[in-house]
Amino acid sequence: MFEIEIRDQGNILLRGRLDASEAENAIGVLRGLPGPITADCSELEYISSAGIGVLVETHKRLLDAGQALKLRNLNPRVKNVFTYAGLHKFLLIE
Amino acid sequence: MERRRFPRDVTALERIHEWVGTFVAANGFPAEAAFDVDLLIEELFTNMVKYNHTGRQEIEIALSAEGAVVTIRIRDFDVDSFDPTRAPEVDPDMPMEERRRGGLGLHFVRRMADSLEYDYTDRNSTVTVTKRLET
Repeated sequence: MFEIEIRDQGNILLRGRLDASEAENAIGVLRGLPGPITADCSELEYISSAGIGVLVETHKRLLDAGQALKLRNLNPRVKNVFTYAGLHKFLLIE
Repeated sequence: MERRRFPRDVTALERIHEWVGTFVAANGFPAEAAFDVDLLIEELFTNMVKYNHTGRQEIEIALSAEGAVVTIRIRDFDVDSFDPTRAPEVDPDMPMEERRRGGLGLHFVRRMADSLEYDYTDRNSTVTVTKRLET
């Protein structure tokens, strides 16, 4: 179960488990959002490489438009996955 | 060792996650420990689903715990060989602009697992990983 709650002014909330079964729906929603985007990850319980791929694609799309994807409030386990991927050096993580 | 078979489709991940949660609790691990088991299984399972193109049968996952160490064994039947221990390394220092989707999953497995073994016998592919969990 994974949901993207769209709030105002480019703020979104990611909720649940962003795994391979949810990646396609997630990228479909994110492609429809203009940047910049700030994603509150406080309710993101789990992410795999498929989920990381979704966020990397979104970040690259926004970068091409001169904008950015910012991730906030990652729980330590989710943050570890970004570290395994080496993405903590490239993504904006608060 | 508990064994279950799952359809070779990513939609099986929800059922796998539920099973892992039950297994982790039954073996006295905190609920958060399921994260690492889920991630190891998902990356190996989806890898088989995506790349073992000749596979037609369900994929078998087996779980066992001995003390704090969990063993995960994933078996794909009647498929061509694909050895995850020999898959190309991903460079985590590669800049964002050069990254493509895919390739990260086995990198995670190698990074997280305490051991990773591959066996290919009679056209059956078996990956076994161990992971020491928090207790």
